[in-house]
Amino acid sequence: MLVYVLKRVGSSLLLLALISILIFMALRLLPGDPTTFSLAQGDGVSPEALEKMRRDLGLDQPLLVQYWNWISGVVVGDFGFSYFSNFPVSLLIAQRLPATVTLAGAALALAIAIAVPVAVVPLWLRSVWLERITNVFVALGLATPVFVIGILLVLFFANFLNLFTGSGYAAFTDNPAAALGFLVLPAFTLSLAIAPQLVRYLQGSIRSVAAATFVRTARGKGIGWGRTVSNHIVPNALLPALTSLGITVGSLLGGSVVVEAVFAWPGLGQLVVDAVAKRDYAVIQAIVLLAAAAFVVVTLIVDLLYGVLDPRLRVSTNRARAPRFGDTTITKESSV
Amino acid sequence: MTTLKVSSRRSLLRAVYDQPSVIVALGTILFIALISAFSPLLFPNADKIDAPNRLLPPSPEHWFGTDELGRELVARMAHAGQLTLVIALGAMALSIILGVLWGMLAGSHGWIEEVLMRTADAIMAVPIILFALVFVAAFGSSPEVLIVILGILKAPLVARVTRASTMVELASDYVRGLAVVGLNKRRILFAEILPNVFPVIVAVATLNIASAIMIEAALSFIGLGVQPPLASWGTLLKIGYGLIHQAWWYALIPAIAITIVIAAFNEVGKWLERFLDRRVA
Amino acid sequence: MDKPVLEVRDLRIGLRADSTVELVHGVNLDIVPGERVGLVGESGSGKSLLSLSIMGLQPTAIEVRSGSIRVADHEVVGKNEKYLDKLRGLTMAMIYQDPMSSLNPVRSVGNQIVEAIRAHDVVSRVAARRAAVDLLGSVGVRDPHRTVDNYPHEFSGGMRQRVMIAMAISCEPQLLLADEPTTALDVTTQAKIIELLDDLVDQRGMSVIFVTHDIALAASFCSRIDVMREGEIVETQPTAKLLAAPRHPYTRALLAAICTFDTDPNFPLLSPVMAAGVKGGDNA
Repeated sequence: MLVYVLKRVGSSLLLLALISILIFMALRLLPGDPTTFSLAQGDGVSPEALEKMRRDLGLDQPLLVQYWNWISGVVVGDFGFSYFSNFPVSLLIAQRLPATVTLAGAALALAIAIAVPVAVVPLWLRSVWLERITNVFVALGLATPVFVIGILLVLFFANFLNLFTGSGYAAFTDNPAAALGFLVLPAFTLSLAIAPQLVRYLQGSIRSVAAATFVRTARGKGIGWGRTVSNHIVPNALLPALTSLGITVGSLLGGSVVVEAVFAWPGLGQLVVDAVAKRDYAVIQAIVLLAAAAFVVVTLIVDLLYGVLDPRLRVSTNRARAPRFGDTTITKESSV
Repeated sequence: MTTLKVSSRRSLLRAVYDQPSVIVALGTILFIALISAFSPLLFPNADKIDAPNRLLPPSPEHWFGTDELGRELVARMAHAGQLTLVIALGAMALSIILGVLWGMLAGSHGWIEEVLMRTADAIMAVPIILFALVFVAAFGSSPEVLIVILGILKAPLVARVTRASTMVELASDYVRGLAVVGLNKRRILFAEILPNVFPVIVAVATLNIASAIMIEAALSFIGLGVQPPLASWGTLLKIGYGLIHQAWWYALIPAIAITIVIAAFNEVGKWLERFLDRRVA
Repeated sequence: MDKPVLEVRDLRIGLRADSTVELVHGVNLDIVPGERVGLVGESGSGKSLLSLSIMGLQPTAIEVRSGSIRVADHEVVGKNEKYLDKLRGLTMAMIYQDPMSSLNPVRSVGNQIVEAIRAHDVVSRVAARRAAVDLLGSVGVRDPHRTVDNYPHEFSGGMRQRVMIAMAISCEPQLLLADEPTTALDVTTQAKIIELLDDLVDQRGMSVIFVTHDIALAASFCSRIDVMREGEIVETQPTAKLLAAPRHPYTRALLAAICTFDTDPNFPLLSPVMAAGVKGGDNA
């Protein structure tokens, strides 16, 4: 067991290392470096100043050395300095992190609160047309980009109903009521973007559990369909659906970049967009690496948790009847 | 295996006929593709600036209204659609070429498989829009660059699917038979395995188009994709969103167009997956 | 003459999607209280479908086309889930072939037995739990006070089947349907389970439908055997008579296929089932 844990952790670390190399090298494949962009803004910049800046930022070193300097700092939490603002990157990130975490957390909670009933109720009521309607909405939801959802919500709530504003932010520590008001539309937008894929995973999981023989046994005891769903189907369906949590986190992070742009939400998404415009490599690589790390860590935790709970779930569901659903659809990458 | 072409085509058409939603989706795609392709002919005066008539709502004279410079929005949309589709199709093509080679190589040569597939995993671990931003920071965001970026970023998915299929085919009897007879590996891969792997690839390709449209639109929307004076639906959406209080239709129209096209490609792609799944099973 | 516990009349079962495919062609079957009927046939004969349909648990792809099934004088065909739930567990109960996949893996066995009890009886959780412990004891599960909180995967195959039996008899049903209950078990466990069923059924006066492909097994347990082939019952006779003088050629073929270790000097070991002899004469 311990060997398995160590192996999994080891391979995750390797994956992260590989990701960091890819990100670092991707930024530096072209000749030229940030100095040409930043100082090119001003006139009359002397070559000496450029050289000094280059040396200060360590850009005169060979690539591998630069990478090593960066990654050895990252491991201890030092992401270097922004190429522009002279602030440590970790400080910039720390400033913006709460806003993004609040947004992502609220969106995730809302998405689960939406997805579970949507997936379970049609099964519970055994209503075919309800399931068809659900499928139509899920398909539509998967096709609608997150920014379109945001725009539609803004149009409806902010423009027509005048209920919420399309942008703005307040920290919870300052003004909880106002903070909540500003959080509603962005969080709802992001949750509506994530919920459809959660519903799909749940539906697939529920479908294969519902075909299992122990569900038939439960029905055979005369406990009623409601109890069969709540005590037998749903508990067994939730755990496999949990394995999609890593992908969900990835979608959340990607989606929040766009949502923060739509609603002018001052989080890490806005920070990275600014950094790309200014070509502030230090900030970009730090944030993107963190995002990837979030995905890897969440996936690792879920896998290990599953390994712990696995002996209980080593059940052979009646494969002959369980339709092969959900397996191929998961090859499609989640929407932004 | 490859001799099933005649009957498989018939069953394909039959399957399309049975699913009305797929027909609608294909029709939509065809319609938009044609309009975009022929946009220079259909809307020759797209760039005609008419400042006094700026931001007019949709009407019989101006089907989609006018933009901030008085240009016909319907014309702008048609031309922008062309760029949107070209980028998406280019990205899809690149992702297929790269991904198929990647996957077949990984599936057939044991020693390099680990490295190739780990790299694929690494790329897929990063939220795609963030990785796209990394490349945009390094290479800019002209349409050609966007095609390359999106193509590279979607290639790992194609590689995974291809590798899985390749490994299944390699293990099948007819391939083992060919190897025994002495056919060299490359010929087996390209002449025999590729045609059998092909149907699955088509499904993934269709879904990749949808994905590429979505990401390009997202990038353009946040200002880091297609740059003015060029316009894709994403850039039009960005402008529209900025003017959302004065001209709500300006944001709504590109939004709906993007959604419909993505939904159409998704529908076709999903149906292809299901159709192939049934055939394989 | 007692009212039959089960009356099946002209039952036709087929595929929901294709009306030309019929799987069970007009079956008639009666069971009186205390009677044990073996339903014997090969795979595809329709025997499992028949027993599942009695409980209303047939797969969604299968439908009962016509005919009547009366359980303790209640018509079951065409009734909805809510109606059937009142009968299931209480009047008729079923045990299944594979006890591992037939038990909920994330709930303790005690929880599942209590659930069965409280579905039909208004008792407190404490009382139900006590009853569950007693039931586990009466089916031969060791140390029931502790194991009642164990999960299905913590039991061996034979013990899991005992748990299923406990669950099924918890509400004292009149009819017990056993769908190949020992097929997934090894031969010695098989014999013990049969022995257990024998005792329980006698004690509680239950009627049994025993579905199996093994005619020797049926012969050791059942008082009457109905032979099923391709959706029809081709022969029905009290066990002793069937073995002595089978009428249908198919029955004869089934009987001929039994390995008779006792006549072959190369195989001195007898299966316990064969050694136990044949039921019938004394249980009619």
